[in-house]
Amino acid sequence: MLPSPHASPRLVTPTIAIVLMLLVTVPFWIERIGLYPYIGVEILIWSIYALGFNLVLGYTGLPSFGHGAYFGVGAYAFGLAQFNLAPNLWLCLLAAVVAAALAGAFVSLFVSHRRGIYFALMTIAFGQVFWFISIKTHSVTGGEDGLLKIARLPVELGVAKFDLVSNLTFYYFVLASFALVLIGLWRLVNSPYGRVLQAIRQNETRVTFLGYSVWWLKASVFTLSAAISGFAGALFAMAQGSAFPDVMSLHHSGYIVMMTLVGGGLVSFWGPVLGVFAFLLTRDIIGAFTTAWMFWFGLFFVTMVLFKPEGLAGLIQDARAAISRRWPPAGAAVPVREPGE
Amino acid sequence: MFFDLLPHLLNGLTLGLLFALVALGFMLIVGLMEQINLAHGSLFALGAYFALVIVGGENSFGHLLGPAWHSIPLGLRYTTALVVAPIAVAVVGMGVELLMRRTYGKDPLFGLLLTFGAAMVLEEAIRGLWGTRDYVLQTPSAVSGGFIFQDLIWSTYRFYAAGIAAAAIGLVWLLIEKTPYGAVIKAGAHDNEMVRALGINLSRLRLFVFAFGTLLAAIAGIILAPIWGIRPHMGVDAVVPAFLVIVLGGIGSFWGAVIAALLCGMLVGLAGAYASEWSLLSIYILLILVTTVRARGLFGKKSLLEA
Amino acid sequence: MTMALFEAHGLHMRFGRRVVLERVDLVVEEGMFAGIIGPNGAGKTTCFNVLTGRYRPSRGHISFAGEDITGLPPQKIVRKGIARSFQIMTLFDEYSARDNVVQALPEMRNMAWRVDHAVARDRFLDDAADEVLESVGLLARAHLPAKDLPYGERRALEIAVALAGRPRILFLDEPTSGLGTNGRVRLRELLERLKGKLTIVAIEHDLALLFALADRVSVIQWGQVIAEGTPDELKADPWVRNSNLGKLK
Repeated sequence: MLPSPHASPRLVTPTIAIVLMLLVTVPFWIERIGLYPYIGVEILIWSIYALGFNLVLGYTGLPSFGHGAYFGVGAYAFGLAQFNLAPNLWLCLLAAVVAAALAGAFVSLFVSHRRGIYFALMTIAFGQVFWFISIKTHSVTGGEDGLLKIARLPVELGVAKFDLVSNLTFYYFVLASFALVLIGLWRLVNSPYGRVLQAIRQNETRVTFLGYSVWWLKASVFTLSAAISGFAGALFAMAQGSAFPDVMSLHHSGYIVMMTLVGGGLVSFWGPVLGVFAFLLTRDIIGAFTTAWMFWFGLFFVTMVLFKPEGLAGLIQDARAAISRRWPPAGAAVPVREPGE
Repeated sequence: MFFDLLPHLLNGLTLGLLFALVALGFMLIVGLMEQINLAHGSLFALGAYFALVIVGGENSFGHLLGPAWHSIPLGLRYTTALVVAPIAVAVVGMGVELLMRRTYGKDPLFGLLLTFGAAMVLEEAIRGLWGTRDYVLQTPSAVSGGFIFQDLIWSTYRFYAAGIAAAAIGLVWLLIEKTPYGAVIKAGAHDNEMVRALGINLSRLRLFVFAFGTLLAAIAGIILAPIWGIRPHMGVDAVVPAFLVIVLGGIGSFWGAVIAALLCGMLVGLAGAYASEWSLLSIYILLILVTTVRARGLFGKKSLLEA
Repeated sequence: MTMALFEAHGLHMRFGRRVVLERVDLVVEEGMFAGIIGPNGAGKTTCFNVLTGRYRPSRGHISFAGEDITGLPPQKIVRKGIARSFQIMTLFDEYSARDNVVQALPEMRNMAWRVDHAVARDRFLDDAADEVLESVGLLARAHLPAKDLPYGERRALEIAVALAGRPRILFLDEPTSGLGTNGRVRLRELLERLKGKLTIVAIEHDLALLFALADRVSVIQWGQVIAEGTPDELKADPWVRNSNLGKLK
């Protein structure tokens, strides 16, 4: 049920273009609707994380419940590179992505021949291992106190230099990163590689018997997903100015699972982004009334799994299908499946 | 040198027995439902928290029970907790089973996501009600503290804990091997259709097994609370060993589960002797190693979890 | 002496202490239609699993076109030109019939690591898939999701997916399973069209159908080949006649 194979696979779809253009304008009206600029940064960073995560869950059908580890590795690696190598933005981002990719590749060695419950428990176990290490190796990671004073390094492009200290410039930097990841992943999911991942989700045995090397495909997508999560983690470290073991906990790994599913990651490319919106808006709006907003979101998640695993994106698809049936476009047959955007 | 390890071995034995308790409940549920209940750990944790409320103490809602309750001797309060808290958890456990019903027969991914969600919701509820701080469960002086024997320091509590766990395991064994309920559960664990054909109400059986399994987990949670401390995320430290135990011991075998659990407990106990900070980590590393090397039980039949 | 296209000798398969295949031989000449029959649980599907690389035999050798393929994993065996269908269908339910077949095309497989090519716009893949669908009579249903197809068409799609790989030898595991009379007739027509163009090994319970199509048939019972020969020879075989399998006109 993921992006209909007959959805337009253009490099930049109208939806992508509209969303990006809208996001460019956000700083100008965000406060007028009662929110604040920093939430834009948060939404984009978590969206990068969720889109990367969904490659594994929504597209390949693998329940990774320990993905926080890679997000965390990225955050720590960024900070450590900054303190121990050089305070160069590109170098530190690269370090974060490489570190997270290596972590993901390492774990993929153990989990790639599995799926289902074994896969899930293994990812949980590894997540716990990473979390433990980050708490106990005080001298390297700062333990429970975290790695502090991580700076937002400036963007240096030869001729121009942009300081990212202000939330506004940082927002645009994160937006540019988001755009890159978004377009790159859109291309990927519509490519043969993206197709075979979805085939693996539907019937792994059959894919093996079609001559594909399923192990390598699963290992590669897990590593790629870890790398993207690590990238998001690095941006997060810059955003917060710190890195804490918390993000590697099972608890936090659970957040990304819930967000992705609630948004509709199982059926839609944009699902994870919708989920991030839902999560952060719940945090800020319901959170204003009660500190137990997370409990309500969790309940929402459970309800979705039970009654509408297709999530918010699924509801939107249903609405579009219903509208299409009532008012079919002139001369066109009712589409069999909705373009999954 | 070996002699110095003895208290650690006792710790390991105690831990192993408690792991067995959690794993047996977990196994019964998996055997009957063919579904993994990731929320099992949260119910383990809930047992500890409920006990905390009943035994009383600062900021644990114990004040709801009133000063009259708190003037009752600790021993009595503790015993009440040991009986009442697991029953309360069993009720919650039945609630989880009812939730899970919609996912039976669907892609197992949904059952997994659902119990994971249930685990998260329960943990959030715990955080919301009790906060994220560590709590301590008071235990009656009769079973607390330690003593010195042969120049080593022994923990009285560990003996008591091992005793209760062993007794509970014995009761589980009696139930499974000696009662008609047990026979039905064993049959159901292998063939749902046969159970139905025999006219046994599968829904009620499931509910009962869930209640019983989570009851066992809650008891283990209460017993382990003074050893591990009470924290919102203590559940995962219980469900992972339970899973490991059924990977090692298979799903259908009582003794497989017990022996596997003892092995795991011993390992954690010994790890505690050498690097106490990292001892809990050893269970995760063990899971990774075992799952990598083998996916079938040592004793039982082919695992239902084959993937 | 020319070697047969596919040969298996002395196959022995054990799960733990349980022996499921013993001294199984199978020789399939190119262009032949070979049948495998036997009671349920006799080991026929296990045999297929061993022959197609899903299980590694405890003993024995398998060769394809002169090359030893014993112990190779399924994905490597498939790439050499062996395809199989499954008794319990293994389709991509959310994909359309066409996309199911596209996924099976060798051209698609060769692009498995390409992350930059829009599959939906690839006319070549769609056309190649449509050709295969037409050969099994499913062209009109190409756009429908596999899960929405009636059972008989799903069976045909299962075979189409196997054919899409342009195999030299096709292993069919109970292709008529669950089909009604009409379905069986259509399947028989399809198999008759394929016969000769492609080497086929089929497990079947529908003996009338199989004996009409097969050049040679092996009977597997308790993990062993207890009889082998042409359909006529087997009809005369005392064991076959005395067993449940012998209820043939």
